Amino acid sequence: MLVLKYSKLADACFVSHIDLLRHVSRILRRADIPVKFSQGFNPHALVFFSPPLAVGVASEAEYLAVDTDIGGEELIERYNRAVPSTLSATEVFECEKNPNLQGKITAADFVFDTPFKNIDLSGFVIEYEKKGKAVREDVSDRIYRVADSGGRLSLRLAAGNTSLRPDRILPELNARLGVALALSDIRKTAQYVGFANDAAGGFEDADDYLKRV
Amino acid sequence: MEEYKDKLYKILAQVEKPARYCGGEWNTPDMSKPRKADMCFCFPELYEIGMSNLGVQILYDVINSDKDFAAERCFAPAEDFARKLKEENLPLLSLETKKPLKDFTVLGFSIGFELLYTNVLYMLDLAEIPFYAADRGEEYPILLAGGPCAVNPEPFADFFDIIVCGEGEEADLNILRIIAESRAEGVSKSEILKRVKSVEGAYVPSLHKDGEKVTKAVLRDFENAPYPEKPLVPNIEAVHDRATLELYRGCASGCRFCQAGFWYRPIRERSAERCAELGKKMVESAGFGEMSLCSLSTGDYTELEKLEDILIPYCEQKRVNLALPSLRISSFKSDMAKHSRKSSLTFAPEAGTQRLRNVINKNVTDAELDNLAEAFEIGYDSIKLYFMLGLPTETDDDIAGIAEICKRLKGLYYLKRHKRGLNISVSCAVFIPKPCTPFQWEEQISMEEMLRKQNYLRGLLREIKGVSFSWHGAETSVLEAALARGDRRQSRVIERAYELGAKFDAWTEQFKWDAWTQAFADCGLTMGEYTRRREADEALPWDFIDNGVSKAYLLKERELGYMEATTKNCREGCNGCGALKLGRCTVC
Ligand code: SF4
Repeated sequence: MLVLKYSKLADACFVSHIDLLRHVSRILRRADIPVKFSQGFNPHALVFFSPPLAVGVASEAEYLAVDTDIGGEELIERYNRAVPSTLSATEVFECEKNPNLQGKITAADFVFDTPFKNIDLSGFVIEYEKKGKAVREDVSDRIYRVADSGGRLSLRLAAGNTSLRPDRILPELNARLGVALALSDIRKTAQYVGFANDAAGGFEDADDYLKRV
Repeated sequence: MEEYKDKLYKILAQVEKPARYCGGEWNTPDMSKPRKADMCFCFPELYEIGMSNLGVQILYDVINSDKDFAAERCFAPAEDFARKLKEENLPLLSLETKKPLKDFTVLGFSIGFELLYTNVLYMLDLAEIPFYAADRGEEYPILLAGGPCAVNPEPFADFFDIIVCGEGEEADLNILRIIAESRAEGVSKSEILKRVKSVEGAYVPSLHKDGEKVTKAVLRDFENAPYPEKPLVPNIEAVHDRATLELYRGCASGCRFCQAGFWYRPIRERSAERCAELGKKMVESAGFGEMSLCSLSTGDYTELEKLEDILIPYCEQKRVNLALPSLRISSFKSDMAKHSRKSSLTFAPEAGTQRLRNVINKNVTDAELDNLAEAFEIGYDSIKLYFMLGLPTETDDDIAGIAEICKRLKGLYYLKRHKRGLNISVSCAVFIPKPCTPFQWEEQISMEEMLRKQNYLRGLLREIKGVSFSWHGAETSVLEAALARGDRRQSRVIERAYELGAKFDAWTEQFKWDAWTQAFADCGLTMGEYTRRREADEALPWDFIDNGVSKAYLLKERELGYMEATTKNCREGCNGCGALKLGRCTVC
């Protein structure tokens, strides 16, 4: 199993996760990448993604696992020839089996296009609509880290099961910082497995995890 | 255009399906080359519908393949996006370079359906461009229209500088070239339009004199005509998201109600080798997982078997789903039929009895219906049937015939298979007399009559198990008929309807009947004036277009229809319709 690390930038940010799933089968076909199929009554291509990214948010750390017999170099080369530069892959990892990023990823770093400021997270309450119902919740325990990334604000947010979407914290974040950030000012820079204080030694960058498995 | 891009990105984060508006599709041609002139294709429907339009993809490719010109695209935005544009004071922008529509040399509207007329105004409104050609000075782009509605362009003629009647592949490029050269010389718009008039198919409403004829533009070398080998891959799921192969243009069947069947004559086929080569190129460049064969009556294509022989193995190997015409189910060559998903069969008898099918020259026989048994045998469990109500000479017996067909199919199904039941879905449109058909003089039945016929049929179908029934709205059908045979006076009506809130008229939930009836009334007109029967010697608004098929031929066909006599398929020999004068029919 090979895993591509790719970015999703500019125009491509606005393509939803569901549409991207559709695109990948086309990308693989036009890139002439032979993908293995599952056995059984309804065979599907053995292709796996990291957790979905909110529409409108850029990322330089998305992952795509592909079961194929071609080599890593060949894969990245063919893939990059078949995608616009806004979706290009930067690295490829070789894994024993499906690394199950969808299930393993626990957190992700997002850089916000605003000067770094240490914000107080206590009582960080967000409001949004879900299936037509208004939701109000305290999410301070799902913002794992506030950091300075090259002078700009970086937040580590929960991903996976307890995922905290960066677009949802935007109004409260803007209010606390006194700024007017938009969705297009957010960029995902890394994804993680593990947890802050777990026995395995805390958050591990997905890149390192992929090199290990 | 960077200034617009930033503002646009801010808006995109706040609207539904933002990928409709951001561009950047795979296979987008190079937009950085120097351009002598540029054209923005405007499609007055949402992105996902417009991106499925083969005509737009073909013309877009033709212009971008020329070293001097560039084509971009713009689709009618949904209302949430339109609202944001207004709030942010942004004009409507092209997808590729985010350039305001009003800064293009030419805007080319593709109009494929009468119910899109108000959307043309909606787009012009958002682009901050005056509706009427007479109100636009030199600073505005030249507005061009084309597409199937150019069969009768009179209702929207006042809005446009140029209307291309017929096929645009050569005409658009010639027009663009004249405009670019003239602009370089610094001549005025009216002088440019005078020069454009010489292009075959170009109708310039402002310079048109009574009695003048416009000859429909016809692409003569269809075999080698340009085709989008690198089609754009839609950002979001489009209605037809696949490699589409146009096998031939025109139709040999001669159904008497069918506008496309007459308008696209002469009949020109493309060879199976060339079609297959194009299909492969499209799959390889775009990666589509589906390929479909597109033409008015695909099953009639002379080289269908040859094409299947090439494409079936190719598609199996590439895991591409090949959509073949329903009626050819029995000719499936591989075990593909067994493997492929059993989607629904579709079939269009159009009328319930052999008698009425003879009137309309729809050569579907009861024996052919019986062939569907083979489809049931290989596992199809549902079928969609399309009919029309209100056809000339129709009686209630003909309507009852629709129910009879359903019963017959159910019977066939039970002979072949015993499990489950057959699902039949019957869909009924209302007959709309269209220009350039033998029925162009017919009246459309009244709205009361439409409702009565629908109710009658619904009652009959209710008694058959497993049959569902859907029908087209009577009101939309009346409007479509009124606009299809409309005249110049209707530009005011369309403008008025738009003022009163009409847009996206093709979307049932958006359709505003009251706005339209009021718009006609405010202009001193009624729809009834347009849906009435026309006399054979009456001047018709579209008479000035020479589409090849002679009026005498259409009248003769109508007479034959009244006599319940059929006309043979052109593949069995030329019927002398007249289209030959515009180019050779390759089938007879
Ligand atoms: S010219 Fe003859 S073959 Fe061609 S469309 Fe007309 S009738 Fe048919």
